[in-house]
Amino acid sequence: MPQFDVLVIGGGASGLRAAIAVKRAGASVAVLSKVHPLRTNSALSPGGLNAPLGSDDSAEKFAQDIRSAGDGLCDTEAVNILAADAAREVIWLERVGVPFNRDADGRIDRRALGSSSVQRAAYADDRTGHMVLHVLHEQFQREDIPCFSEWLVTSLIQDGGACTGAVALGHRSGQLETFTAGAVVLATGGATQLYRPCTSAVGTTGDGLMLAYDLGVGLVNLEMVQFHPTVYSADRTALVSEAALSEGAQLVNEAGDTVVDATGLSRARLAAEVHKAGHNGGGPVSLDLRPVADLASRFPGALEVVKSMAGIDATKDAVPVQPVAHRPMGGIETNAAGETSVAGLYAVGECAHNGLNGAGRLPGNTLTEAVVFGKRVGEAAAAHAKAAGAREAGGSAARDNERLAEITSGGSSGDTLGTIHRELGELMSANLGVTRTDAGLAEAQDKIRALQQRHAALRVNNKSRIYNYALAGHIELGNLLKLAEATALAARGRAESRGAHLRSDHPEKDDSNWKAHTVVRSQDGSPKLDTRAVSA
Amino acid sequence: MEVTYKINRKDPENGGESGYATYQVDLPEDATVLDGLQKIRDEQDDSLAFRASCCQGTCGECAVRINYKAQFTCTTRIGDVTKKAPEVQLDPVRNISVIKDLVFDMDAFTWDKMAAVKPWMEPDEEFAPTENIVSEKDMADVRKTMSCYQCGLCDEGCAVLPVNFDFLGPGAMVKSYRFVMDPRESGAQMDARMKVVEQPQGLWDCVHCYEADGKCPRRLTPSTKIMEMRDVSFKEGIKNEKVGRHHASFINSVKQTGWLDERKLVMETEGLTNVGGLMKLLPTAVRALRRGKMPGRHEKRPGADQIKRILEKAEDSK
Repeated sequence: MPQFDVLVIGGGASGLRAAIAVKRAGASVAVLSKVHPLRTNSALSPGGLNAPLGSDDSAEKFAQDIRSAGDGLCDTEAVNILAADAAREVIWLERVGVPFNRDADGRIDRRALGSSSVQRAAYADDRTGHMVLHVLHEQFQREDIPCFSEWLVTSLIQDGGACTGAVALGHRSGQLETFTAGAVVLATGGATQLYRPCTSAVGTTGDGLMLAYDLGVGLVNLEMVQFHPTVYSADRTALVSEAALSEGAQLVNEAGDTVVDATGLSRARLAAEVHKAGHNGGGPVSLDLRPVADLASRFPGALEVVKSMAGIDATKDAVPVQPVAHRPMGGIETNAAGETSVAGLYAVGECAHNGLNGAGRLPGNTLTEAVVFGKRVGEAAAAHAKAAGAREAGGSAARDNERLAEITSGGSSGDTLGTIHRELGELMSANLGVTRTDAGLAEAQDKIRALQQRHAALRVNNKSRIYNYALAGHIELGNLLKLAEATALAARGRAESRGAHLRSDHPEKDDSNWKAHTVVRSQDGSPKLDTRAVSA
Repeated sequence: MEVTYKINRKDPENGGESGYATYQVDLPEDATVLDGLQKIRDEQDDSLAFRASCCQGTCGECAVRINYKAQFTCTTRIGDVTKKAPEVQLDPVRNISVIKDLVFDMDAFTWDKMAAVKPWMEPDEEFAPTENIVSEKDMADVRKTMSCYQCGLCDEGCAVLPVNFDFLGPGAMVKSYRFVMDPRESGAQMDARMKVVEQPQGLWDCVHCYEADGKCPRRLTPSTKIMEMRDVSFKEGIKNEKVGRHHASFINSVKQTGWLDERKLVMETEGLTNVGGLMKLLPTAVRALRRGKMPGRHEKRPGADQIKRILEKAEDSK
């Protein structure tokens, strides 16, 4: 039975950064990831990462921009930490190898991204996430940290109220194992697969959120889902960094006239404007990249992905775009050190809500959040594990084993995982999309419950556990459906419009009632909605 | 359109049996090969194993052979690979053991080889107050190389790996190149890495077939990069001792006699005091002797002085 001081679940940017920090703090650590770290969703963050590096910038200005994008729901401590630590972390990334673009003086260049008041995003072409992820993986290898790649965590182990490890299924071995640890860090990424279409990798199924939720941990601001405004989308998606809009790209109609002026708009406002323009009868909105100077060298990733996914040469033609579900702001309730309400259980990155992003994430903060808080949470988890001392190897895989056997007991219900997932994704896009109404949310709640019942009746025929992707898919879809129910509950509760949550039946912001976080917890098997004050 | 998927399957639990299975799938013309695979697993056979992650050509997870050509299933349109007949054949990539169906052993294939070249920086001042000052041109070159997916398609095309799986392979060498050409790399770390890259089954075992260049989805020209690293190796001095001795003996022999004295080459490469290493080569020496491939001594051949001058001139121009 493998035993470590700290177990990190998730091999993306947050998880790798956390693991490196744990090792450097002198504790033993392993990473469990359901895909190889280089295949995680962190690679799909092209634009850049914010850090106040310029002489025209400061931590205070950065904090102000974060708060402005967060639209009243940011917790001050997390904002101040990010603003204060971002520059140091970005310089560390540069020192260990990220090949950031340079200015004429050979220093890290910065580009304008979203509604930031200054050019603040350090970038590596438009493949920043890819480069950061690859360099973090290099440093992770340097630390010689064990990586259990292609392992799916099926449950967390609790002992005397504290989290003391996890049970996981190894795809290659087909075996369930228990991992014992003094502390567990969830860095499992988001849950954008709730939506169809969406910009994220197939693995973003909210697994970490549901692992924490099942232990009674609250999920905060689930209704806050960021829609990316410039995504080509048919059956598949191709995301173009919003940075293109700051460098001359235009949002145009079929006649080529500019229909949305992106200047100074938050991502939520921009997404709403593109959505509106696409639905006002003027035909589809397109992103015209041709006005961008040095397009091929500034946005090689966008040209490649638009060509391969849309079949469009963006140097010659405009690209039809629409707002598409991108990244959640909400997640597992933690404080700024990543601690949850369960001792020994931490969460960081896109699966977590530590108060940084509020009702809207400042574009360029995803990767900065991953590295700044990855480091801090890794250090906090290492300290906790050291203080807790060696754990007794405990926990059993017996219950998980029974659950897997039940899922793979075969027999057709005439339904399929793909059908249920598609119906869920389309429902979420329609009823919990850019705009929402009470009636639509109520309908979504009913339909989600019906989908849950169909999922519960569905069985996988393949009994083997070696690379049984249908078995993994069944668990993941179960997570998504539970999360969808909690998300709809939170969205229905928040009877106002704020940040990424736009209610056409409550179009105004309501600070007197809703300058607060929504918190959903599992109570007797059902989600219960609560609220919590924003910490100043 | 109705497409027949012919998939090379392997069941790891029933004696490793493998063989082709066929599935009929109805797909829109612009569907990807991955769309069809997902549909088969969802609707027809939930035991089918294949990898995929980003589904938009960004991550490099879904490489398989589609009609004998290795490529990503998520960016390949079904219409483009069924022009001759409405059938598509899928096999795992070559040169590597298969675990199940289209899932192969990426650890042995790529990850372990990548890790062997110590692919990380160890800067002297990691927590420095400011960044390194470097030119945009240098960083643009590094970014181009670093856009590598680490998908393994260059290794799939490699002509050496099928006959010697211990060959480092083009993928790990492109990863090395990313550091070799980075002005921020420290000397000590560079030396440690070059020692690995220059090993007998590394840089020098590439046969310049240029297959890898044609396979790279980002056109990173791995073969050309291997040649460039050989130049660096000569210029900076070969760090791997055994390979260094081999190189020195080769050059000295040709300079002195115009011939390659293979007997001397072997002994000097292994080291004259390395009895164990020399003994291992004894059977080869006996075979060479029997076939008359080991002359008593090499007479200086005509024109040897000219050859020497050519070599010296080449060395001067390094």
